[in-house]
This record gives sequence, C-alpha cells and structure tokens, in this order.
Amino acid sequence: MPEIRLGEHLPNLRADHRPPHPSWLPRQRRGTTAQMIGRYPDYDVMENASSWDRATREVVEARLRPPSRMRFFGPSEEPTMRALCDTLLAQDRDPKVPVSEMVDSDLAEGKEDGFRYADMPPDETTWRLVLAGMDGLARRADWPDFAAASEPLREEVVGRFAAAELAAETLGGLNPERAFLVCMRWVLSAFYSHPWAWNEIGFGGPAYPRGYMRMSGVGLLEPHERPGATSEDPVGLAREWDE
Amino acid sequence: MKRRLLRGSLAPPENDSRSLLDAQRRDLPGEATMRRYRDDDEVDVCVVGAGAGGSVLAQRLARRGWSVVVLEAGPFWHPDRDWVSDEAGSHHLYWTERRVIGGTDPVELGKNNSGRGVGGSMVHFAGYVPRFHPSDFCTRTLDGVGADWPLRYPELAAHYERVELELPVAGQHWPWGDPHDYPHAPHPVSQAAQVVWRGAERLGIRMRVGPVAIVNGTFGNRPHCIYRGFCLQGCKVGAKASPLVTHLPDALAHGAEIRADCMASRVVLDSSGRASGVSYFARGELAERRQRARLVALACYSIETPRLLLNSAAPGFPGGLCNNEDQVGRYVMVQGATQSAGRFPDELRMYKGPPPEVSSEDFYETDPGRGFARGFSIQTVSPLPIGWAEHVAAEGHWGRGLREYMRDYNHWTTVGVLNEFLPQAENRVTLADDRDAHGLPVARFDHGLGENDRANQEYSGRIARHILEAAGAQDVLTIRRYAHLIGGARMGTAPDHSVVDRWQRTWAVENLYIADGSVCPTQGSANPALTIMALASRLAEHLAGRPPAA
Repeated sequence: MPEIRLGEHLPNLRADHRPPHPSWLPRQRRGTTAQMIGRYPDYDVMENASSWDRATREVVEARLRPPSRMRFFGPSEEPTMRALCDTLLAQDRDPKVPVSEMVDSDLAEGKEDGFRYADMPPDETTWRLVLAGMDGLARRADWPDFAAASEPLREEVVGRFAAAELAAETLGGLNPERAFLVCMRWVLSAFYSHPWAWNEIGFGGPAYPRGYMRMSGVGLLEPHERPGATSEDPVGLAREWDE
Repeated sequence: MKRRLLRGSLAPPENDSRSLLDAQRRDLPGEATMRRYRDDDEVDVCVVGAGAGGSVLAQRLARRGWSVVVLEAGPFWHPDRDWVSDEAGSHHLYWTERRVIGGTDPVELGKNNSGRGVGGSMVHFAGYVPRFHPSDFCTRTLDGVGADWPLRYPELAAHYERVELELPVAGQHWPWGDPHDYPHAPHPVSQAAQVVWRGAERLGIRMRVGPVAIVNGTFGNRPHCIYRGFCLQGCKVGAKASPLVTHLPDALAHGAEIRADCMASRVVLDSSGRASGVSYFARGELAERRQRARLVALACYSIETPRLLLNSAAPGFPGGLCNNEDQVGRYVMVQGATQSAGRFPDELRMYKGPPPEVSSEDFYETDPGRGFARGFSIQTVSPLPIGWAEHVAAEGHWGRGLREYMRDYNHWTTVGVLNEFLPQAENRVTLADDRDAHGLPVARFDHGLGENDRANQEYSGRIARHILEAAGAQDVLTIRRYAHLIGGARMGTAPDHSVVDRWQRTWAVENLYIADGSVCPTQGSANPALTIMALASRLAEHLAGRPPAA
C-alpha cells in the first residue's frame, strides 16, 4: 500500500509514472462514490445538505436524480459516447457518475462556453466527429466498434488521443489536440460537479450560509469534516491498541 | 498622496450603497421602484454595460443630477435565488455566447474572463484589487516597451483611494509601486496560503496579505466574509465587492435606470455626426429599440466595446464607428496566468477561504538581469474541483492517473503569476462571420505572444515552482493559462495610434466616451478591476465639471 503522506500513489513520484491499481483504495463506507472507492471513506457531502441554501441544494440534488435518456447523441453514437467517457475517467464499474448523459443533456440544450477556436467547428460537431473517429480506430483493430473493443485497446486509443498522436484524418479533419481538450472540458465539468466525486476527493461542497471557521491551522478539522484515509495497517493498529 | 488612512469604519464620500443594502436579503434595493425612462426621452447619458466602469460612471453622474440609463445585456441578478455555491451551476454568470478565438496563442474566453449581467465580471472576479504602479503609465519612456499613457499615476491616485474606500479593500500595508495602506485590516490567512507564504519567505520574496475587495469589519449593511471559498461563483454573502453592492444601490437611489436584458446593437449618430443614442434589442422583443441620449458612454469591455463600434458602421465610418484610422479593437491584452500547485504531506483543503489570499509584487518592475522588460506579480489562488481537474489534465493526465491526482486534492496548494504581456497591434478584435441570436456579427479575438512575453512567462513559472519547492512540495503540477482582458480602444495623444483622448472621449465623435478597461494602453501585472473603476471615477469627475466634495 502506498504511503499517503509521502505521495507514493502519485504518478509523477512513481518509477513507472503510472498510478497504482485503484484496488489499494479504501471502500466507501458512507454515502456513494464513483466505483465506491475514495480517500474519505467516512465522508458523505450530502449529509451537509441541510446547511445549504435552497437554490444551491436544488441544483446539487438534481444531479443525483436518475439521468434522462440521451437526446443529442443518436442510438448508434450512444454506446461509443459511454465507452469514451468511461475510459477518459476510468469509470470501469458501477456505480458510475452518468457523465455521458450529463454531457448529452447540455449539448441538447445548446449550452455554450463562450468561445470557439477559429480552426474548430462548434463543440457539438467536434463530439460527433470524435465519436466517429473512436469507432473507426476500433474497427481498424478488428473490433466492431469502440464500445465493443477490449479495455486495453480503448485505453491505447484514448492514450494516443490524449498525447495528440492521432492524425487529423482519423477525427474527420479535427485538430486532434484541441479536440481532446474540448472532450475533457465537457467530461471533467460534468464528473467533478457530481457529489459522488466530491465524496471521493473529500471536497467540502457548497458552504453557504454556514461558511467555515476563520482559517484553521494545518490539519485542524471542523465537526462536519472527516479525516482522509491513512496508510497504517489497521490490523497492526488494532493490535497496538489492545496491548 | 502618501496620506495614511484610518482603518476600520471609514465611510466613503458620496456613496451610500453600503447602508442602502438590505441586511437580510441580497437583492439590490430599489429595483422595483427604480426610475424608468422612455426610449424617446433624451437622457443626459446612456451608458452601455453595468460592470466595473459603467456602474461607477452611472453612480457618480446620477449623484450630480444627470439623467442616466444603463443598458445591460445580461440579467438583473437576485443573488439569493440566481446564484449558487457551486461551480458548474454558475455557468450563467459568464458571457457564454459564442465568440471566435484565433491567432498563434488563442485566449479562451467565457468563464475565464468574461461577465454578463448587472455587476459585470466583478460578480465572478476573484477579488484581488491592486493598483497599477506609477511606472505602468510610462513604460515606453522608462523601459522602451509598450506605450505611454496620456495621463500619469498622480492623476488617478485620488480615485484609487476613493474606490478603495468604496469597495472596501482589506490588506496589509502595501510596499510596492506607490506605497499605501488599505481601509480594512488584512483577512486571516488560510492554511493553504500559509504554505506558499512560508516558501516565498525562505527565498526572500516578500508576500503581503491582500489586497482584496472583501469586507473585513463594519461597513454599513455589507456582511463579513464567511470564508466559504466561492468568490468566483458570485458572492452570495455580499461580502465581496461588485458594482451590484458597491455602486448600483447608490445609483438607483439617485434616479439612474439599469435596463437589464438589453443588448446594444449600435451607436446611432445624427446628421451632424454626434451620437444621438443607442439601438438595442430587449429580451423577448423582436423590434430593435433606440434610447435617445445627449451623451453616450460605452463600458462593454475589451471584446464587446470594439465589437459594438465595429457593428456601428455609419456614413463617414465605413469600417466601423471611430475606426477610420484602423485602431478599434487593436492592442487587446491578457495577462499570462500560469498556475503551479504543490503537494504536501498534510491536508491543506485549499477550497476553504477566499481564493485570493496573499500576493507579491517583488517582480513587478523591470530588472535588466532577468533578460526581459517589465515583470509579473505572484498571487495565491485555490481552484475548486472542476478547476483542479483542468489543472491536472493540463499536464496530460487522464483516466486513472487523473483520478489519482484528483483524489489527492486536499493535499495541494496553488500559486499563480500574472505576467505583464506587452501591447501588440495585431492582437485585436474584429468581426467574425458567425452571428448571434439577433443577427449581429460576433467578435473574433486573435492573440499571439511576443518574445518578451514568452521570456516573462518562462521566468515567472520557474519562480512559482521555486516557491513551492522551498515550502517543501513533494510534487508540482503546472497549468499555463491566461487571465483578464484590457485594451482594444486605447487612449493616446492622437487618433493615428488611439481611439480615445486622455479624457476617454473618442477622437471621432465628440459626445461618445469609453468608460471601461479597453482604454488602457498597458496593463502592468495588476488585476484590472480597481483601475477600471478609478478611471471611470476620474471620467465622471471630468464630465460633471467639478471635483467631488471631500
């Protein structure tokens, strides 16, 4: 098990620059996280919801309702979209934050972020071209489509996409680097707006009108916070306490 | 000028906004009873844009008895209902209508730097309000780069002081530029910012708390900050300054009308070449309307002010109003805003407390030893989860690696820099082929960095990293980005290199003024809000023809 204080779980600090398999993480004991893993096993941000103002509570609680059916992506795009979002965010098992539905809903409603790169089409078009590109790359490796492809193949394709190693032709002529950033901008703002993701990372969530105590010292917790997981062996600790 | 202010409960002159606010509700008092003008009333001034510049101008002139109509493209906010303590839920605070970005180093707009609605971008600005340095007004003379302003720092100093009282600004004694004190005491420093402070101290870099436009003491009905950390999502508390709480209550009390949800489409000229009013589209109405006015002041900022001028082509101005010298939309600037995050063994929980905490201007001025002209400032910031995800992804992490860094969120602290990028004629706003819902061409903003800009960016990035390492960071993640906007209709001494004169009057139309940050010829490495307000305050004093009573 990596030593958390030393950051041994962080890719940059590891010899192979890859994260450890997530099986090292504690299972969530309280509330829900994506894949039920996280660093704050006893923390559920929704337990604080009664201290939030009504407008905020409505916005956050709406994200926990079952997602609506996809409206922007068609039936042939839907599995590819799910597989791409799952791979980008390593959501490899249930429960999953419904990122593809969240993105679909915003695209269907014409949400814009206030800019379009001069050498890029609108984001709606970018998404469709990217999905077609993912399917094309999977077929080139003899899979029926991206969603049916093996996990290693999907990771390899997305890895090349992330590293801007895909040729523009594979993405319908899109600038591959910018196309990846467009996809990430949408999926990250969906995933990390979800309370399950806040539980996983120990984010305090909305804090109005309660607020925080006036700047505590390092390591001081407030009553509504929970400590992060540590790396001690619980069996050993229990033994020490017994002795 | 080196007057020392008394701290605590000093009241600003000629602005009662703080006591007009309701202590229990965040709505702007007076919206329901606000004076309303008809389109064919010839008001004394029609201001376009209810942000930092437009609101200060409206408040000052309404106080002098001027009839004032402010057209604002976005909504009239009701913060208790419209704003949320949530990142994704705050999307509507930004100017999210399409704009096209290009050039060798395109600048992302939207939530990064563009506001919409009554109060403007200050509704979601972090809250840092440093002054410009005296050197910023004459970089051409001092450093051989940029441009000299047609005014100097002392002409703005009294307005800086006055606006600092109105916001009010909290912070420690400021040793840089023109040294000065702030009206409110410094806020306590969060644990995440303390770590940055310690690193800077070990390198001999001076840090100071603030300056932030966040109440820290008794100030009418404005509440104290509750340190919830959502400054960039609109301050539901009302502790952080925006014109919605600092100037518009007083403006309404003195008869100004804020006409929200009204998108200006063109400045209208009469047959003599004077501005006679502003055409606009009111939300939900198809027919274009026109507000008549004796004087027009544009305060739509660096993208929309040039766009409105370019969309106002008229006989005698075939390439856009005030653009016969091809100066409109040029010299738009952004600041380099690289952010570096450092990892520490203890939980720092950087989301707790306002993102703006401590800052340094030790590197603000030119140091020939660094190999480039002008400099940068250093400021702590603290991204919330979506911002932190963008930070992690910027280093190429995705999938499991991204999730691992995200889960480590509470162990990180973040320090940012603001580089003074130099003005370039080709960094400019033009009209794109895309059109908005009203059929108006949208803005295109092309941007590229110069050699000096890149050298500044590189050097400052190394300093930020050194600070984190000196504090004991175990890992560092960096995101290169830009922040703020300024320029686009700059002031100067002649129409061949500028759009407005030293009093922000357009060279081409005698009763058309520009009252926003687009008039600035340089930007320093200070956040622009305070300077935009101080310039609008100076302009108002000039227009009203007499100095404010002290």
